[in-house]
Amino acid sequence: MLERLMQQAEQAEVFEIENESTQIGFEANKLKSFQVEETRGIAARVMLDGRLGFAASSDLSAVDRLIENTLESARHGDALPLRFPLPQPGPTPQVHDPQLAALSTDRLIEIGQEIVDIVLAVEGGAHVNVNLERGARCTTLRNSAGVQVTAQKSPLTITVATERVEGDDVVLMFDYLTTTRWDEGHRDLAGRIADKLRLARRVTTLAPGRLPVLFSPTAALVLALPITEGLDGKNVYRGISPLAGRIGEQLFDQKLAVIDDPTIDGRPGSGSHDAEGVPHQQRALIDGGVLQGFIYDLKTAAQANVEPTGNGQRDLFRPPTPEFSNLVIQGGETPLAAVIAGIKKGLLVENVLGIGQGNVITGEFSNNLSLAFLIEGGEIVGRVKDVSIAGNIYQDLRQIEAVSQESQWVYGRFCLPYVLLPELNVVTKGE
Amino acid sequence: MREQIKAALRASKADYTEIRLEQRESTRIVFRGNNLETADVTIDRGGIVRCLVRNGGWGIATFNDVSDLARRVEQAYQGARAIQGEPIELAPIPVTQDRITVSLQQDFRGTSVSEKKALAERYNAILTGLDPRIVDNQTYYADTFNHLTFANSDGTFIQEERPMVTTYFLAVARENGNVQQTFDGISRAAGFEVALGHEQWVQEIAQRAVDLLSAPRVKGGRYTVVCNPTLAGVFAHEAFGHLSEADFVYENPKAQEMMVLGRRFGQDFLTIVDDGSLPNLRATHKYDDEGTPTQRTELIKNGILVGRLHSRQTAAKMGEKPTGNARATGYRYPPIVRMTNTFIESGQTPFEEMIGDIDLGIYACDAYGGQTALENFSFSSGYAYMIRNGQLAEMVRDVILSGNLFVTLDSIDAVGNDFEWSERGMCGKGQGGLPVSDGSPHIRIRDVLIGGE
Repeated sequence: MLERLMQQAEQAEVFEIENESTQIGFEANKLKSFQVEETRGIAARVMLDGRLGFAASSDLSAVDRLIENTLESARHGDALPLRFPLPQPGPTPQVHDPQLAALSTDRLIEIGQEIVDIVLAVEGGAHVNVNLERGARCTTLRNSAGVQVTAQKSPLTITVATERVEGDDVVLMFDYLTTTRWDEGHRDLAGRIADKLRLARRVTTLAPGRLPVLFSPTAALVLALPITEGLDGKNVYRGISPLAGRIGEQLFDQKLAVIDDPTIDGRPGSGSHDAEGVPHQQRALIDGGVLQGFIYDLKTAAQANVEPTGNGQRDLFRPPTPEFSNLVIQGGETPLAAVIAGIKKGLLVENVLGIGQGNVITGEFSNNLSLAFLIEGGEIVGRVKDVSIAGNIYQDLRQIEAVSQESQWVYGRFCLPYVLLPELNVVTKGE
Repeated sequence: MREQIKAALRASKADYTEIRLEQRESTRIVFRGNNLETADVTIDRGGIVRCLVRNGGWGIATFNDVSDLARRVEQAYQGARAIQGEPIELAPIPVTQDRITVSLQQDFRGTSVSEKKALAERYNAILTGLDPRIVDNQTYYADTFNHLTFANSDGTFIQEERPMVTTYFLAVARENGNVQQTFDGISRAAGFEVALGHEQWVQEIAQRAVDLLSAPRVKGGRYTVVCNPTLAGVFAHEAFGHLSEADFVYENPKAQEMMVLGRRFGQDFLTIVDDGSLPNLRATHKYDDEGTPTQRTELIKNGILVGRLHSRQTAAKMGEKPTGNARATGYRYPPIVRMTNTFIESGQTPFEEMIGDIDLGIYACDAYGGQTALENFSFSSGYAYMIRNGQLAEMVRDVILSGNLFVTLDSIDAVGNDFEWSERGMCGKGQGGLPVSDGSPHIRIRDVLIGGE
């Protein structure tokens, strides 16, 4: 296929996907579904007369049409000084674990059952939904400059959603575990949920006002998401990132450090190269609150006339765009227990609604809280309902009260600590 | 293929087996700024087999290679056997043999990529040319033609053509540190004509982004809010509709108590309906993805909860009838209970009367997104105006409505007489985007919590 494209275009690239996965679903505490999934597909890109073309197919018997579609796409493409990369070595993090890949279906079912049992032991009336997905993913990228990169990963993702309904009161909770290295981490996951359900039993009220707000790692995505948008080279090139043109400036509290790190063992976001064959690298993007750089894929880098950074990510039917490998907000100095103990009166935010809705690029956020606790006198005293928070990260992250030592992987690719902001606007129905 | 499908079904050892195959071809044109992001054609082919072992559970196999269906059935059957569960029953539905073809006004399969690109480029030029403060923009055009085959072991065999044309526009305006964006689009199961004639509308979208630059942020607090039909439709879908999906309640006695039929949810003039059989809407199909005919299902009638949405499994479990709401987001997913075209029925109140007695309130329009956690919801409106002394006043931005469903439905104190469909909706429940339509007239809600400084 690559050879056939090279005969007709100046440059060519073929990206092949071959994935298998097993999914096991527990619904309302009971094993309910079992799904196997096989994915096959090819995406191709060419540079033809200096223009970029793209096409993809999951029908492997339609190779002729795929080639035709790729060349046709290039005829409509914009002229672009893009060069597919030469072969270069990259880091070698561990992303494939034979032990994980070999976990039997029976063992996966047992793991799900253990999670359900741990949660029910604390909260017998809860409904626990668990989804376990174990994948074997293999992608191969070849290009006309000689790159041939095969990536094999064995990710396991466990998603747990619990609900407890009492009258008109509903407590919903979500938590995740994603790893490519098996370490029996599901018990910690279930333990975290059980602890929160226990804490959520007591409901208390809170008056509106400006209060210290402690974001859990799951909730800290409220703060991290606008940062990812601001650091995206495409938004910088388009001139809509508030961070554009500000490298070297102290824009945040010095406790804030943000790293794109594809070199961490055991993470599905890690690997030797990005999905365009550019070597992955660990990069500090914000260090001591000072902006250091942005992330780029090949196309955006060519448009912006900068070097690609190894952040081109793609799906079969979606051409590459700049994306983080693993976004790490570095842990701080203070243990979580000490952070909480230091709060006279404040809010602990565990889960929010509406992440990503509203005007994310400007840094603004406004979220209804699906799970939040009141902290008084350094202790968690109860759950608060019907509360929302609002702010702008470009104002509110100029002063960070504390960043916890402890971090947690959330949503697969974010490693986030607890972050305490000294004051946020909190709207409630309380007196 | 028909014989292969039938043979694979006959060979199945499961109590119930179904096969759904899809073959779709899509053209996509995307402009961002002045640049073409992509003009491409993609081919997607794949299928799903679902097997039920009555005292086990569901086993599912999804795949791209459709050459060996018997093996996929066996994989799904083995999965179903791995589960030791409570008996699962499926409510009976008629056995159907049908072939549904579409005839498009202007068939996009006969339109060249050049012509589609030229259309998108014209719209894009309106976005980029309107005002120098528009710093970023996107014009998106896509068409998909899907050949779908559904067959089950009861003897149902349905072949269906499903076209879809989608076009949307995004404008981002910037002045110093202030960045505002607007977004709108249309999508319909029809031909290329859906994408034509939107010049005026595209200009309005771009102008609104510029106007938002000078709009102040709304002051947080509690307000009387009038929602335009688009936002009210999203509210009906997100805040209420998901609770009426039977998969939320069918295994949960507490949730059944909360959603007990006969409970009063709103005032007499509030009626909410789901109807997958209405002609020419985005979520209209003759059958759902289990082969059940679609129908009109009243959810709230005159303020009282009277119905809910079912798949065959949830209907059997609750002793009710399937409603044709088992839908799947493509061949990667089994069908689950989903809404189709969901709407608040038209009422009596003209818009002027609705805002006429509001001293201080908000007129909230369109939705950027919405999320619910059962009783709690949060929505961002796309743009909004203050209402002062019964009149529309200045534009405001960042209006995010949140609240408790039960309280809020009960606080709807006026339903307008100006019903409209919104044809851009995607619902993300569980499986990612599935086309839905929302409809509503203007509605007025008392005492809504608006976030903000």
